[in-house]
Amino acid sequence: MNAEQKRAWLGVVTMSACVVGYFVLLPLFGPIVATAAFAFYGINGFAGLIGRKEKPDERDKNIARRATLAGAMASYLAFIIGCMGTWFVVFAFKREEQVWVHVLGTITMLGAIVFFFTRSVAILVLYGRHVEADNA
Amino acid sequence: MPEITNGIRRLRFDHDEMTQEELALRVACTRQTIIALEAGKYTPSLALAFRIARAFNKRVEDVFQYEVPIKE
Repeated sequence: MNAEQKRAWLGVVTMSACVVGYFVLLPLFGPIVATAAFAFYGINGFAGLIGRKEKPDERDKNIARRATLAGAMASYLAFIIGCMGTWFVVFAFKREEQVWVHVLGTITMLGAIVFFFTRSVAILVLYGRHVEADNA
Repeated sequence: MPEITNGIRRLRFDHDEMTQEELALRVACTRQTIIALEAGKYTPSLALAFRIARAFNKRVEDVFQYEVPIKE
């Protein structure tokens, strides 16, 4: 397992902890306190300490680039669905024209979590699959 | 199935049983990439393909073979 895969595993664990923590705290303390679970996101910052001496080669860079693209696409999708979904639920079902201010922070964090989770999973999957170099 | 196959494993053994680590050092990539190449899980860039061929004193087409996919 190389440094990129170790970082990816850390990403999967921390992002899963964020989501699980949020849904554990939500029924107990409500939506504002539940966002405290997003603190697990900060642990991902230690990923930079993993394998600092390892130099990535063309395959590592290729996989990282593809995984980042997949993460960005999933994050964009999650953010748009989160924004429009919230508006739809609030307006269509509750007939209200205002969205609770804390929703924006939660949706932003959702987008960030989806980005790192998708990127990490994509890295783990791509290392086990056939990959072609960009100019192959 | 990959369209490009290679004989890296055979060539390594023909060159005094060169280890994957040695080849990786010679062609400036990681051992994991050599493993992926031998397993047919990675199609290298042209630059890496040339470096590998030169490490064995061979031409690129002696190391890598292009197989035309069979259409059903």
